[in-house]
Amino acid sequence: MSIEDQHGEAGERTQQTHIQLPAPTFFPIVFAFGVTLLFAGLLTFWLVSFIGFLVFFVGALGWWRNVIPHEDHELVSIEPEHRPAPVMVETRSVVRLRAGEQAHRMRIPIEVHPYTAGIVGGLAGGAAMAALACLYGLVAEHSIWYPVNLLAGVVIPGLGHATTEQLRQFMAGPFIAALIGHIGISILVGVVYAAILPMFPKYAPLWAGVLMPLFWSGLTYPVLDIINPALNRRISWPWFVICQLAFGLVGGFFVARSTHIKTLQSLPMAERAALHYPTEQTSTTKDVH
Amino acid sequence: MASIDYPLERPKVGTKDWGFAEHMYDWVATVDHKKLGIMYIVSALLFLVIAGIMALVIRTQLALPNGHVVAPDTYNRLFTMHGTTMVFLLGMPLVAGFSNYLVPLMIGARDMAFPRLNAFGFWIFLFGGFLLYFSYLGGSGLYGAGSAPDVGWFAYAPLTEKPFSLGHSTDYWALGIIVSGIGTIASAINVIATTFSLRCPGMTLSRMPMFVWVMLIDSWLILVAFPPLTAAQIMLLLDRYLGANFFYTQRGGSAVLWQHLFWIFGHPEVYILIFPAFAILSEVIPIFSRKPIFGRPAMVGAVVAIGFISLGVWAHHMFAVGMTSYANSFFAASTMLVGIPTGIKIFNWTATMYGGKVNLKTPMLFCCGFLLQFLIAGLTGIMLAIAPFDWQLHDSYFVVGHFHFTLAEGLVFGIFAGLYYWFPKITGRMYNEKLGKWHFWLFVIGVNLTFIPMHFAGILGMPRRIYTYQAGRGWEFWQFSATIGAYIQAIAVAIYVWNVVHSAIKGEPAGDDPWDGWTLEWATTSPPPEYNFEKLPVVRSSRPLWDLKHPHDPDWKYE
Amino acid sequence: MADALDLTADALTLEREWKTPDRGTVGIIFLIITESVLFLTFVAVYLVYIGASVTGPYPKDVLETPILATVCLLSSSLTIVAAEWALERNRIGMFRIWWLVTIVLGLYFLFDTGMEWKKLIYVDHLTISTNLFGTTFYSLVGLHASHVTVGMIFLLLVIGVNLLGFPIETQKRRVKFLSWYWHFVDAVWVIVFTVVYIISTR
Ligand SMILES: [Cu+2]
Repeated sequence: MSIEDQHGEAGERTQQTHIQLPAPTFFPIVFAFGVTLLFAGLLTFWLVSFIGFLVFFVGALGWWRNVIPHEDHELVSIEPEHRPAPVMVETRSVVRLRAGEQAHRMRIPIEVHPYTAGIVGGLAGGAAMAALACLYGLVAEHSIWYPVNLLAGVVIPGLGHATTEQLRQFMAGPFIAALIGHIGISILVGVVYAAILPMFPKYAPLWAGVLMPLFWSGLTYPVLDIINPALNRRISWPWFVICQLAFGLVGGFFVARSTHIKTLQSLPMAERAALHYPTEQTSTTKDVH
Repeated sequence: MASIDYPLERPKVGTKDWGFAEHMYDWVATVDHKKLGIMYIVSALLFLVIAGIMALVIRTQLALPNGHVVAPDTYNRLFTMHGTTMVFLLGMPLVAGFSNYLVPLMIGARDMAFPRLNAFGFWIFLFGGFLLYFSYLGGSGLYGAGSAPDVGWFAYAPLTEKPFSLGHSTDYWALGIIVSGIGTIASAINVIATTFSLRCPGMTLSRMPMFVWVMLIDSWLILVAFPPLTAAQIMLLLDRYLGANFFYTQRGGSAVLWQHLFWIFGHPEVYILIFPAFAILSEVIPIFSRKPIFGRPAMVGAVVAIGFISLGVWAHHMFAVGMTSYANSFFAASTMLVGIPTGIKIFNWTATMYGGKVNLKTPMLFCCGFLLQFLIAGLTGIMLAIAPFDWQLHDSYFVVGHFHFTLAEGLVFGIFAGLYYWFPKITGRMYNEKLGKWHFWLFVIGVNLTFIPMHFAGILGMPRRIYTYQAGRGWEFWQFSATIGAYIQAIAVAIYVWNVVHSAIKGEPAGDDPWDGWTLEWATTSPPPEYNFEKLPVVRSSRPLWDLKHPHDPDWKYE
Repeated sequence: MADALDLTADALTLEREWKTPDRGTVGIIFLIITESVLFLTFVAVYLVYIGASVTGPYPKDVLETPILATVCLLSSSLTIVAAEWALERNRIGMFRIWWLVTIVLGLYFLFDTGMEWKKLIYVDHLTISTNLFGTTFYSLVGLHASHVTVGMIFLLLVIGVNLLGFPIETQKRRVKFLSWYWHFVDAVWVIVFTVVYIISTR
């Protein structure tokens, strides 16, 4: 048999009259029944397992003879009346989007700030926030460690019960917890800033720098009472809002001054969907219909 | 349109004046993947009807306070068998059935890689199911009249240990599932070997239909998720038969270990069950939107990601057992993480419809229903992933409502979409569109009326698995509407059954390619001949039939 | 239709150059993966229960490291490779010798496990229900031994039919898969040995 007779377009007809297929056999069902009886004996009576073993053995033997030395095959004849309809060529054509196509709407930013700007902005904002918070600590409690310990209290519930005196001291564990938490959250928030900044309609830096921190404070205010009520009582909310604003302004400034990069959004839908990849020949092909 | 001028009524072939015995032999001895696929799906639907009737009895019992339709111990057996059947005897054969029928057709093969193993897998699954149901006759063995397992579908230790569960009913549960699990494993290995080895020339992994991709990952999940369950059940049987101490708390064993082992299986199992729905949506939505699937690589990536992340989230079922807060946080976080790829899939299906020429035939209606319902199910899932929230609602009707939303509304909607979509391919005849729409709308009303109230009953403090409740706790209204909803669902399914039976016999001939499809199964006759394709196809893109229908504008020029 | 002619030629080249992995290879690899997860579960449970026994005997009191049996089982992995090598070159005599050596080594391993269990049960009074050590030990080692037994049955079948005159050289592919399974069983023993006889006896 030549390759031409075995392979072709989908639905194509062959010159052969028969096709080789695995032959039907009832040994798999016998084997399966034997295995089931083997197990069923555990639930009922040992004789069932014994019979199961015999059936299992018959099935295994028959199966063995089905496949060794060669797997059994049968020839199935091709019924000439039972053939697929030929595939019809469709006369309509479908417009495909092309690179550089102008006419369709863009709702998603064409240019964005790079994520690195978000990281840098987040770190800078975080530094500003930390500086202000420490300043608050010095002014209100005469200790720069006080706000650090308060922050650590979010993840270390025990600190909620600490005395003010204890909270003024430097403690290594809470310091590390606060440091990791602060840097991690600063970077995360910075990246979120960078990602959503282009989506604000107007005055983006104002939104990002002022309103977002206010939202954050508003969200945190009720939530913190649930997470650590003892801690919540100690927080000075005016300072909290000021720290957030500092974060927003400094972070927003760093993000806003970064250079923009182009997104995939300027590419046509089909390319973004990876249905096809940018081809250089876009303008010359496909003017067929 | 394709095939419009082709005579649809063709001479009947294949009916060689066979009697009943010949037909029986034909089905019993067959190694044909299509026949086995049909048998899988039909037996799954039979078990659906059985477990559905159990659910109706449960709902009737709970319709009014102080119900006494069934006795408490009968009730325990009902919810145990309902859950076990739905998961192992409905969900698993549907996975195997759909992949059996469609994978070889879609990748241009003549059969599965191991046809005899395939037949074995089906039969042992079916016998395993019979063994489980035989417990109604033989369950308590020598200890009295037989009856079914009553330990719940996740069979928590130490309730399953010998002192608390006399007789053999729990053994029936373990052995029935082990036996049918052998079939599941066999079929999963078969699907993987088939997709890797039997792809037709040109069908690279990147051109493989999304359906095949999803079922491939599904089979992978089966292979890594089922052994822990089998191991746990072997341990349970060792405890019960030989006096081993695995889960025997008095002798140092750990009941929590059972929970870990069960849910290491149990959570991936949820994805194993929902994947056929994902697979079906990924085929049906593009066809009925007349657009290729949006973001194919992202879709594949999301499925693969689920295939791995879902292995590391199991203990979110165990927030209430008192794990360390580190473990709680880890499993809460990983559970939310698995929501990301799922979200990607939902967005991509929606984006596929966006701007497309959406045709709301019954399969597409079920897909839209899936998207909305599964979204809600996912959101309540995220709620339950928050450990403190879970502490409040653990083992309440909120959880019952949640997982029925994922499975009854997610899985079942997807499955119905697939059953309608491929009905013309499998039977060669068209289903009744009007009845299909009735089915859809009644089903939407039914499931929402059943499962939304369950959430409220749960929030009001109703625990799951109680056989009755007192009046005056604020649960009556929710429970009553859930029962009404269940009956509406039953009517919808009855309409479906009638539609299938009637249309398979008397429906309009459907033609080879009624949906103007793009994948290979539409290139052969309906129903396909035993050998699937006269010539094994050669493909050049992920939409081989599109290429043939549009020779001037084929996909492969762009891929 | 110059286009269509091109396509046919294109299809033929595609078909000729098209290669997919062997179905048996894929099947056996994934069978081994799923079996590995089964073993992994039992190993994990063994590790979790180390030191959890409420009463004795404890591993360090009763377990003797089965060095000789381990050496036998591991070297049977080498002898089966030698047998395969001989079969590849159609040297049936050599094949039979190496195959029989493999069987003898495997049988010794099973025999040794049997003797060990006999000693544990009758001398040390450790059964599967005695304590958690007994429970996890017998189930893990027993699971492995049952896999060795299944492998042994197939090894015996191969040599049996061959000695009865069956031309085994027609079944090279299946013999290869059996030897992969045997390697897998050996590899599992390395883990079981480490966990049971080294980690838990310390
Ligand atoms: Cu889960």
